Amino acid sequence: MISTQSSGAAVHIENLDKYYGSFHALRNINLSVKRGEKIVVCGPSGSGKSTMIRCINRLEQHNGGRITVLGTELNDDVGNIDGIRREVGMVFQHFNLFPHMTVLENCMIAPMIVRKRPRAEAEATARRYLEKVRIPEQATKFPGQLSGGQQQRVAIARALCMQPQLMLFDEPTSALDPEMIAEVLDVMVTLASEGMTMICVTHEMGFARRVADRVIFMDHGEIVEEAPPEQFFTSCRNERTRQFLSQVLGH
Amino acid sequence: MEMVIVAPPAPGKLEDLRRRFFATPLQALLSLISLAIMAFVLWKLLNWAVFSAVFTTSGGPEACQAAAGACWSVIAARWRIILFGLYPFEEQWRSALACVAVVVMTVLSCIPAFWTGRRIALVWGAGTALYYVLMKGGVLGLPYVGEEAWGGLALTLFIFVTTCLIGFPLAICLALLRRSELPWISRTTGLIIDGVRSLPLISILFTFAVVLPFALPQWMAGDKLYRVILGSALFFSAYQAEIVRGGMQGVPKGQEEAAMALGMSYWQRIGRILLPQAMRNALPATINQFVISFKETSLVVIVGFFEILASGNAAYGTGEWRFAYVEVYAFIALIYFVFVFSLSRYGAYLERRMSVGER
Ligand SMILES: Nc1ncnc2c1ncn2[C@@H]1O[C@H](COP(=O)(O)OP(=O)(O)OP(=O)(O)O)[C@@H](O)[C@H]1O
Ligand SMILES: [Mg+2]
Repeated sequence: MISTQSSGAAVHIENLDKYYGSFHALRNINLSVKRGEKIVVCGPSGSGKSTMIRCINRLEQHNGGRITVLGTELNDDVGNIDGIRREVGMVFQHFNLFPHMTVLENCMIAPMIVRKRPRAEAEATARRYLEKVRIPEQATKFPGQLSGGQQQRVAIARALCMQPQLMLFDEPTSALDPEMIAEVLDVMVTLASEGMTMICVTHEMGFARRVADRVIFMDHGEIVEEAPPEQFFTSCRNERTRQFLSQVLGH
Repeated sequence: MEMVIVAPPAPGKLEDLRRRFFATPLQALLSLISLAIMAFVLWKLLNWAVFSAVFTTSGGPEACQAAAGACWSVIAARWRIILFGLYPFEEQWRSALACVAVVVMTVLSCIPAFWTGRRIALVWGAGTALYYVLMKGGVLGLPYVGEEAWGGLALTLFIFVTTCLIGFPLAICLALLRRSELPWISRTTGLIIDGVRSLPLISILFTFAVVLPFALPQWMAGDKLYRVILGSALFFSAYQAEIVRGGMQGVPKGQEEAAMALGMSYWQRIGRILLPQAMRNALPATINQFVISFKETSLVVIVGFFEILASGNAAYGTGEWRFAYVEVYAFIALIYFVFVFSLSRYGAYLERRMSVGER
């Protein structure tokens, strides 16, 4: 079961190793995230950012070390995994909305069939969160009829409708046109200000500066640098981090 | 032909026709010749089918042979054999009602309002039970009629519908097993599917009808009809499984991941996310498979069943109407056409309905 003691860490990762065949994708990762903390993860392509956060809700299986999420250790116990997935929301780079359902149905389905909420309650919750991400008027449309930014906000609302205790974002803005990035980031900033525990893979350094408690830099499957944003941007110690920062900030 | 080209306004229908078919003298000539040929063929056909045709049975076969046109009186005289086969004459109303039951069941299950597990199960359960009781009798004061006497359209419809009812769920199971993560399951399923697909339907029907009873104990063998249906359902499911699998491959991996991340169980992901999208992708090929299966029901004649085509043979084969086979086949073709064409139109409707909200 999910323990709800607020003192424990939301996520605790110890000596995590992950292999794809013989490829060592994650090397000895150690990370602890407190409840209410906002973590931004960045790093070059292929450095293992997605792999790491996908291990947290077991979209990827780890090969070594321990992952504890909301007080439950992730192992082969399917009940544990389902329990954790209910409490952990995830937003993907390519939205992954269900194209055969309306926006409203996208937001209602999981609360109804996973949490067994009555339809009326699920709909009320869905409308509340659509309001919150500022697209209540799109409720009856299909995902294919929305812009990328709108779709990503629906995806956020869909995850929030499960009323998760932790949200994972995997490059939520990198498939979007520049003018749509702001509307998605705004929603994420609001969410952060309300105290949600968040782990975001993103290269939006402005966002990191505004909301992150810690910024993590990964390279070649390792956590290379971990620091509060001011320190991270002004006085990072590592050469690879500096090089990466000059690339993302300097273009 | 000379013409002045003005800035073209939206051309009217006539103008459009003229430009397409009468643009140059040669084109005009060719168009006229084709038109004449078509008119000639149409006239001949109409003349045969309508103007010089015999429609009543009053004159008997002799009146037909005297006339130049089609002999529709053979249909008037023999339609009962075509539709009901060797089913006892006084009981044929039951066969007719059974046909209606199957058609109503099919139509109902095509209506989206019935697409919930309970309703569709109710419709199918009631439909097949009604068909069975009506055809077989032995209860409610209906005289008993064994499966060997069933025939005609009633039998064709029954074989087709039950083949699909059994074959379709089986196909989905096979498709799901084939994408199992356990290699020995997916490989075995693949082997079964490919094995069945590489056999001709006729040999499968023959095996199920004739060979199987020797291999099975008496109590397991059941009536030949049900074994044949099982065989054709197996054949159907092997093809349909590959169609469904193709549809599944068209669903992006992210869909299942999103469903997982929301905490949905395996069956919820399959039922709510994967299959609805896979079936949408697979719809055109699925309708195609249904059409093929409908026409392939005629193969059951080789194991001794009088489905509609074989009943047609019997209808003209008995001496006096021997000359009127074209009319009988035309009538049967019309029946096939009505069913298959409705099926295709329904497929087109579904595609339109499902494309709502797609980019
Ligand atoms: N399913 C897989 N099979 C094999 N290798 C994989 C698989 N998924 C990821 N990898 C490899 O693992 C490494 C880390 O991938 P990951 O997707 O975590 O990188 P990332 O940091 O998220 O990169 P990006 O910024 O491009 O999204 C990459 O080298 C990638 O090639
Ligand atoms: Mg990634």
